Amino acid sequence: MSDELDEIQGIFFEECTEGLAVAEAGLSAMAAGDVSAETIAGVFRAVHSIKGGSGAFGHAALLAFSHRFENVLDEVRAGRIVASPEVTQTMLGAFDILSDHVAAAQGGTEPPADAAMLEQLDSILESKGAVAAAPQVETAPEPAAQLDDFGFTPLAATIDDFDPFGFEPVAVVLDDLTSPEPAEPAGWTIRFGPSRGALGNGGEPMLVIRELEEMGASVTDVDLETLPGLRDLDPEDSYFVWTLRVPGTVAEQDIRDCFDFVDPASLVDIARQETVVAIVEEPAADEFDGFGLFEPLPIVSEAPSDAVLTLVPVAAEAAQVPAAAATPASAAPVLAAVPTPAPKAETRQGSVEVAQSIRVDLSKLDQLLNLVGELVIRGSILSDRLSPADQERVELPELSRLTRQIQDNVMSLRAQPIKQAFSRVPRMLRDLSAETGKKVVLETIGEMTEVDKGVIEKIGDPLTHMIRNAVDHGIESAEERLAAGKPEEGTIHLSAEQKGARIIVRVRDDGRGINRERVRAKAIERGIISADAALSDEEIDGLICAPGFSTAETISNISGRGVGMDVVRSNVEALGGRLEINSVPGEGTTFTMALPLTLAILDGMIVRLGDQRFVLPLANVVETVQPEPGQVQATSPSSEVIELRGQYLPVRRVGEMFGMRSERAPEDSLVIIVESETAGNVGLMVDTIDNRREVVIKSLEDNLHPIRGLGGATILGDGSIALILDIDALVATGGSSKYALKGMAA
Amino acid sequence: MSTEDTELDERKIVTFTLGSRLFGIDMRSLIEIREWEEPTPLPSVPPYVKGVTNLRGSVVPVVGLSERLGWAPSELHARSCILVVTINGRHAGFLVDEVQDIVVIQGSEIQPAPDVEINEQGAIAGLVKIERRTHDAANAEAMCLLLDLDALSLTRQIPDFVA
Repeated sequence: MSDELDEIQGIFFEECTEGLAVAEAGLSAMAAGDVSAETIAGVFRAVHSIKGGSGAFGHAALLAFSHRFENVLDEVRAGRIVASPEVTQTMLGAFDILSDHVAAAQGGTEPPADAAMLEQLDSILESKGAVAAAPQVETAPEPAAQLDDFGFTPLAATIDDFDPFGFEPVAVVLDDLTSPEPAEPAGWTIRFGPSRGALGNGGEPMLVIRELEEMGASVTDVDLETLPGLRDLDPEDSYFVWTLRVPGTVAEQDIRDCFDFVDPASLVDIARQETVVAIVEEPAADEFDGFGLFEPLPIVSEAPSDAVLTLVPVAAEAAQVPAAAATPASAAPVLAAVPTPAPKAETRQGSVEVAQSIRVDLSKLDQLLNLVGELVIRGSILSDRLSPADQERVELPELSRLTRQIQDNVMSLRAQPIKQAFSRVPRMLRDLSAETGKKVVLETIGEMTEVDKGVIEKIGDPLTHMIRNAVDHGIESAEERLAAGKPEEGTIHLSAEQKGARIIVRVRDDGRGINRERVRAKAIERGIISADAALSDEEIDGLICAPGFSTAETISNISGRGVGMDVVRSNVEALGGRLEINSVPGEGTTFTMALPLTLAILDGMIVRLGDQRFVLPLANVVETVQPEPGQVQATSPSSEVIELRGQYLPVRRVGEMFGMRSERAPEDSLVIIVESETAGNVGLMVDTIDNRREVVIKSLEDNLHPIRGLGGATILGDGSIALILDIDALVATGGSSKYALKGMAA
Repeated sequence: MSTEDTELDERKIVTFTLGSRLFGIDMRSLIEIREWEEPTPLPSVPPYVKGVTNLRGSVVPVVGLSERLGWAPSELHARSCILVVTINGRHAGFLVDEVQDIVVIQGSEIQPAPDVEINEQGAIAGLVKIERRTHDAANAEAMCLLLDLDALSLTRQIPDFVA
């Protein structure tokens, strides 16, 4: 059980992380002026979920704080407190503390000091004259909004209730039942049977029960007598009568308050009990699930351990049943919808939809991806060995098409919005602002850009460092900024976009730019360059990524821990990406990470140089030219240009870049015009082109280490290895002896 | 080869030659022995990294072990082969002259390598005397150098590709 509980708890923390992301996004939107009911409700739900789970897992400090936070949010949601900028700022602060609480609960460390924040929250509550006690019964005045928030079928409501935590229903109930309140005064017994029409009117019984549970109540019985068979079940009707036990210490009035908004036609019976009701110690899912809701739904209740996977889509489907549906939705379609995965586009609408997912161990996906990769290679081998006629005969094209589809699908499974990596930036900026006293505004563009999960996981650290660097070194103090005629607040633009097979992530600040004089002086001082080195501006900028370079005059704890931009660069390069720095003195600095879209498969052109084959990423290829005599001309002993429609483009001999001597005349070679991020269009001279093919990228660092200029290697149909060229790195560094490839080892 | 290993009584080692010298590696590190096949050369790597080869779908570096240990490069011949080993979960192929035998040795027979290392980086974990499978009765025993594969890990040798 404890393993299971740990696992469930793990899920809870995952959900917390997601909840925090949702809350932060919502609060940020509120700070930016979006105070729509939907946004506020989203934040409320997220915090509410965290609160609920923290109670279930006994994280008292987290529970206490999230409860107070939720109280404020509840008032804001109800419109009793205006979401003024000040209130929003306080809530952002509260959010940060909440994140710390979650981290503390997760790491088992001391909870953060939250007294000051609690005071602030309380003062918000008081200043609006709102009741600072337990939250109001969450029965919103407008039924429609209520329905949207919580769903309205019994099925949906119950599942929705659990879904934010992602753990099994059983677990919650167990917790409630196995830790009963000590019953010194005789406890209360409450029988609660919502009127038949309660659900239709937005009277959500779950909210009442939850409210009671917050006072220590536990459900001891559910009367299912009036529950009709599945065929006759109207999901908009309420059929249950709950029996709850509330500790005797709770005042009767508090209990009655919970029923304030309940339809008067409902059954509400509150009585002191004389003897303590026997507690069911270990209810099993099939004996007693606490709510009795799963009884009539064998599909669900037979597989309690799969509850997370199975129930979630139902909740989502049910929540999507239009609120105004006049005809009662029959239960059957809802159930039928269980295996239907939710459309991807909807997953970002709100927390209900966010939960439309299946948790799959990433390693399983990787395994699948590897297998698909092998399949692709086998497909290539087949097509190499069969004549075109034979290929048709065995329907190889069809097989290839299917393989391709499987591949695309598997790839898309791993694709996630880059938002996941961006989401931690706002918090970081707030902390940085607090530490440095610099005011910084964040602008984010393209956070829905989808990137391979592996890439997302690995850009977190580089991103953190770039942002820290921007605030620490880039953005000036408010006085300096004003003196320079800039707005007092610095701006950091964080953007992501897809360009061909690459994801471009930029961090741009509007700060002072790189002080090249100082960088140069420092680099000489540290022995990174010699005193007489002639470096271009770009090369000087690049020095900040050199190992052992740090220009911070005081080691702040922001850029601290001795980890510098060199680590950022090697991290990015280890991903097969590149880091570029562009700086304009006085105007700011832009860090650009160009990352591969996927770490797995590449559309490539196979070229030949001598007896070796290389793969050029097709995304970089613009066109191929068979040079006429005289079309390629030398401009120096080591450089050549090609004339193309009146334009001269630099030409590089790939063989020479790899230290392979070749006396081949340009006329006998092919020039492939490639597009590079840094150097624009450049011609690469190769011997011949073999073919075009999708290749599976095998990383070199799995068994070796990344090599500059190479994006990895691949295994061709005949089992031999071809190296994948990283055009941008090759072209960017080809001319500079500093980065010149040392030549082939053999 | 950690000290724990040396405390174990019986261990299996694979022996092979580089020139006239006899070496041994722990049998548990060995994945397979394959015939020499010209690997795909790589740029920007130390000369002892001969290139990469395809080991059942993964790209594995091939290292000239003799050069790696500081001796002259092995000359290729018909019996040249590649020992594919695993070092901390990473795979590497070592070019060796000839694979000899699988020998059981006692942990207590291993003598520590002398302080004055005969090669860089302490790649020799210890010395052990073993019986050779040979008809030359006068030369039946030989010193075998046990390699410390961890010290040979390629990822420790990340070349400085920045400056």
